Amino acid sequence: MPFNQKPQKFNAQINTVTIGSGEKAVTLGGGSTFPFYTFDAPAENAPKVGVEITDMGLEGMSAGIKAYYDGAATMGEIAKKASEMEGADFVALYLEGGDPNGADKSVDELIAIVNEVAAAVDCPLVVEGCKNVEKDAELLPKVAEALQGKNVLILAEKEENYKAIGAAAGLAYNQIVGAESAVDINLAKQLNVVTTQLGVDAKKIVMNVGTACAGYGYEYVASTMDRIKGAALSQNDAMLQMPIITPVASETWSVKEAMASEADMPEWGPQDERGIDMEIMTAAADLAAGSDAVILRHPQSVATISKMIKELV
Amino acid sequence: MAKFVTIGERIHCISPVIREAMATRNPEPILKRAKEQLDAGATYLDVNIGPAENDGEDLMKWAVKLLQENFDNVPLALDTANKKAIEAGISVYNRAKGKPIVNSADAGGRIENIDLAAANDAIVIALCSAEGIPSDNDERMMYCQNMLERGMGLGMDPQDLWFDPLFLVVKGMQDKQMQVLEAIKMFSDMGLNSTGGLSNNSNGMPKHIRPIMDSALVAMCMMQGLTSAIVNPCDLRLMETIKSCDVFKDNTLYADSYLEI
Repeated sequence: MPFNQKPQKFNAQINTVTIGSGEKAVTLGGGSTFPFYTFDAPAENAPKVGVEITDMGLEGMSAGIKAYYDGAATMGEIAKKASEMEGADFVALYLEGGDPNGADKSVDELIAIVNEVAAAVDCPLVVEGCKNVEKDAELLPKVAEALQGKNVLILAEKEENYKAIGAAAGLAYNQIVGAESAVDINLAKQLNVVTTQLGVDAKKIVMNVGTACAGYGYEYVASTMDRIKGAALSQNDAMLQMPIITPVASETWSVKEAMASEADMPEWGPQDERGIDMEIMTAAADLAAGSDAVILRHPQSVATISKMIKELV
Repeated sequence: MAKFVTIGERIHCISPVIREAMATRNPEPILKRAKEQLDAGATYLDVNIGPAENDGEDLMKWAVKLLQENFDNVPLALDTANKKAIEAGISVYNRAKGKPIVNSADAGGRIENIDLAAANDAIVIALCSAEGIPSDNDERMMYCQNMLERGMGLGMDPQDLWFDPLFLVVKGMQDKQMQVLEAIKMFSDMGLNSTGGLSNNSNGMPKHIRPIMDSALVAMCMMQGLTSAIVNPCDLRLMETIKSCDVFKDNTLYADSYLEI
């Protein structure tokens, strides 16, 4: 009997959300198939890859990452190099130095860095808060204000601070709102509901539904993304049709496989390679499970994942 | 499974306000009732223009355009005994949000409404009755088969025949209620869609009792596999019950604000 291909068709699609402006703007989402199911329908917008830099400069980065940025002395120079990385679609500035339990930099100090980075790059920008909910509630509205007109993605509001961040980013300063939940499908949906109830346009929201490093409870991440895409497409759930962005690097570069030095773990081989492996494995799994964008650090990971995407769509 | 489809029943010429608005082509009362129902969560709106023997075609066209232009092509159920009026309504109907529903055919004198739906690529409500109330489920299922075969013979997708078991009033036919529920299960086992005038069960009961009876029945019906109902969406208790059952049936993903969306 001949094989009759029956494409799986959904009367629903993931929202398209554009970050940045001009020629280099990137558009996430738009598809109406499961990830990479190009045999059901051609991909609308290929997943995108972002390069993460932090306000702490190159402190704590692996040798390979430091080597790539060799010669870059200021945050502006680092950002420019990041934007020129092979395979990079956007730059993600992680304001980790704002964490009150870490460097505890002031909001003004961080905004100066945000402005310096924004001035140095011509690609779309994602700004990640420090992950402390109180500090982010203060910091991210200021970031949204400082970058007015640049159509940046603010990562992220959470259940505890969505009113401050969602209203500032999505209403007052017309940026894209990142909505973050921690591997919890019900909360992912709820956060989108309450954010739209603030008045934020559903088509200006991108979700970070949580991530983990491969091997660290990762199967919950995969099943969460899978369930969200399933509800978005097969149940036409408008409150789950936002594209998904996944910050991979901050997870994968903080596990022991990526951090232990070769001197401590000679049998594990070179540290840089292990970190790259973790980053690539996790990012590939995120994309296969439904991420529309991933955020990575190492130039080799960025090049590899970007090549993988090109080959698959 | 898809979410339960609610068809709002409140644009009905039996209401003096609506009848007057239809007669004088006054949009306001009709738009007001449409908005109330959509805000309350109705998916489809039923447009009942009565027998409309004189100006049915013109009236249905006017109503379809009025509602779809004002409410983003809201999908509609066209409800009248006047076949030409249904066809006229379909001729101006925009399908962006869903096919039109022909309300309704039965296995007796109104069986030709299946032909009408088939010819116009519409959904049809297929009432499992010919004359009066079917005496048992053998009779119901015979009607169901007849109508299914007729529709499929005309090239219809079986999913476009929504079978109505004929809901019965509790006061007077309490002993027949389980039969109705069993019929729904039989439709569901055959993979068929189903709908009906569920609030018929509580006819003649005090006003404050009706939402309670309707909600209990809709929950039991959804358990049996009912996929839609023609209801008053402004009945908050009923809509909350439907949304909750949709969660239990995994038709929609739970979120704390699920009642608000």
